[in-house]
Amino acid sequence: MSCADALSCNNRRCEIEVSSLSRSFGNTVAVDDISFNVGRGELFAFLGPNGAGKTTTINMLIGLLIPDSGEVRYHGQQFDPKQLAVKRLIGVVPQHNNLDRELTAAENLLIHGRLFGMSGKQLHQRIDTCLAFADLTAKRDTPTAKLSGGMKRKLVIARALLHQPEILFLDEPTVGLDPHSRRKMWAFLRRINKEQKCTVFLTTHYIEEAEALADRVLIIDQARVIAEGSPQQLKQSAGNVVLDIYRDDDICNEFFADRPAALQRLEQLDTSVRIRETTLEDVFLQLTGKRLEP
Amino acid sequence: MILAGVRGIYLREILILRRKLIKTLMAAAISPALFLLAFGYGVGRGTQISGVDYLAFLLPGLLTMSSMNQAYSIATEINISRFYFKVFEEYLLAPIQRWEIIIGETCYGITKGLIPVLIIGLYSLLTGVTLSFGPLFLVALLLHLTIFALLGFIAAMIVKSHSDQATINAFLITPMMFLSGTFFPVEQMPMAIRAVASIFPLTYSTQLIRAALTPGAEVNLALLGTLTVIAMVLFLIAKQIVARVEL
Ligand SMILES: Nc1ncnc2c1ncn2[C@@H]1O[C@H](COP(=O)(O)OP(=O)(O)O)[C@@H](O)[C@H]1O
Ligand SMILES: [Mg+2]
Repeated sequence: MSCADALSCNNRRCEIEVSSLSRSFGNTVAVDDISFNVGRGELFAFLGPNGAGKTTTINMLIGLLIPDSGEVRYHGQQFDPKQLAVKRLIGVVPQHNNLDRELTAAENLLIHGRLFGMSGKQLHQRIDTCLAFADLTAKRDTPTAKLSGGMKRKLVIARALLHQPEILFLDEPTVGLDPHSRRKMWAFLRRINKEQKCTVFLTTHYIEEAEALADRVLIIDQARVIAEGSPQQLKQSAGNVVLDIYRDDDICNEFFADRPAALQRLEQLDTSVRIRETTLEDVFLQLTGKRLEP
Repeated sequence: MILAGVRGIYLREILILRRKLIKTLMAAAISPALFLLAFGYGVGRGTQISGVDYLAFLLPGLLTMSSMNQAYSIATEINISRFYFKVFEEYLLAPIQRWEIIIGETCYGITKGLIPVLIIGLYSLLTGVTLSFGPLFLVALLLHLTIFALLGFIAAMIVKSHSDQATINAFLITPMMFLSGTFFPVEQMPMAIRAVASIFPLTYSTQLIRAALTPGAEVNLALLGTLTVIAMVLFLIAKQIVARVEL
């Protein structure tokens, strides 16, 4: 089945198709029968709490872990990490900033370029471009051990972009960053998606990150997909408007399709009530009965 | 680019080695110096072994042992890069063949293993022992270093953590250092130890390298064949393991 006529792809040009992917470690089921598609040029967020199976899924998509079952397709072709061409399509930013600390920013990029078969003037130009894009030109000859957390993160991203991948995978791109750096990182990721025309696949356990960035969100909990759609669609399926009803020490939520319906209900209540728009946080709470924020 | 993986990995290792060269040289100089003092001048002063002064017997043994340690020490470095800094992922993600990783790292191990040659060469001048560094020595040394770099690589691939690595070193490398003829001839040991020594590759490389370095000594060229076979078998094992390795 070619990608273009894959019904599940909704006629978008399909970058990645994942079907029934599973992986266990001993008795722990880390990923349980997960299926989804990522469209070309999409900014796709994989949202779930710690231990949900996000890293395990990414690692199967990039060939670092072998699935127990299920399959991954790129451009409709079954993914085989032994085929080197497909690895050139992929850029990876792991959860951990895996830089060589003793080497300078430029040297870290140099090694990556060499491993991807780049050399000479073309490689050096690309290193300059990527350092500039990540705002790190001034840090070119600084050992990476001396860079701040945000700079290290950006350097890892610049390195992943060096060989001009079509798809960029980022595992928890903003974890450990302060709120200010986090917002700057979001803008940076949007630029990668728009300016570099890169399909972006990121994982996060921050709801506002998925909400702020993603064209489409996949919510994963305890190794399984529990919801999928644009932030808008997800909120709509829960109900666009929510009432926070304060009863004794508790708050309970009621969801409504629109404001008039919510207001109608509001009139029947005699406790204190707040009316507001639904967030992804509410969606998660409604689906799982628990809050996501750590 | 041909062998981009081998060259990229080797370049990375050499760039890092350059940054810590002084430290590496000093560390590599100390242990043979201490063994030289303790065994050469302490226990073994004035004795003769197989017709040569004990020092002339000991120095080639120390060279072989120290270069083994250096070549094998890539195990710890790869281990740290795999489990702690996770830079090893970069190799697994690159569009390169998995066996290129083996060759790149083995070349690095060989490079590190050459450091003790300089150091023991210097000690031979200081102690007045004549060593003959010829082509046979070079071939034997390369085989020897290939074997121990490959062993280091395999060890780093099969362990699951940093402490496993220490265990392997304790059970494999330390006994080899003391039972493979570095300090005294294997032939003088009890049968049981000789049987153990006969499964250690260091026993064969020590014999060959010592013979090559000692002026006028008789060389058993069949040992070249033995070492080549060991190296080839280890490469095939490494290739099997690295093809399956995850993360
Ligand atoms: N290498 C591993 N060995 C054993 N268990 C693992 C391993 N990797 C992940 N797990 C387990 O699998 C589950 C999913 O982990 P992970 O994919 O890292 O989740 P997330 O990235 O969403 O936090 C967790 O319960 C974790 O403990
Ligand atoms: Mg994770």
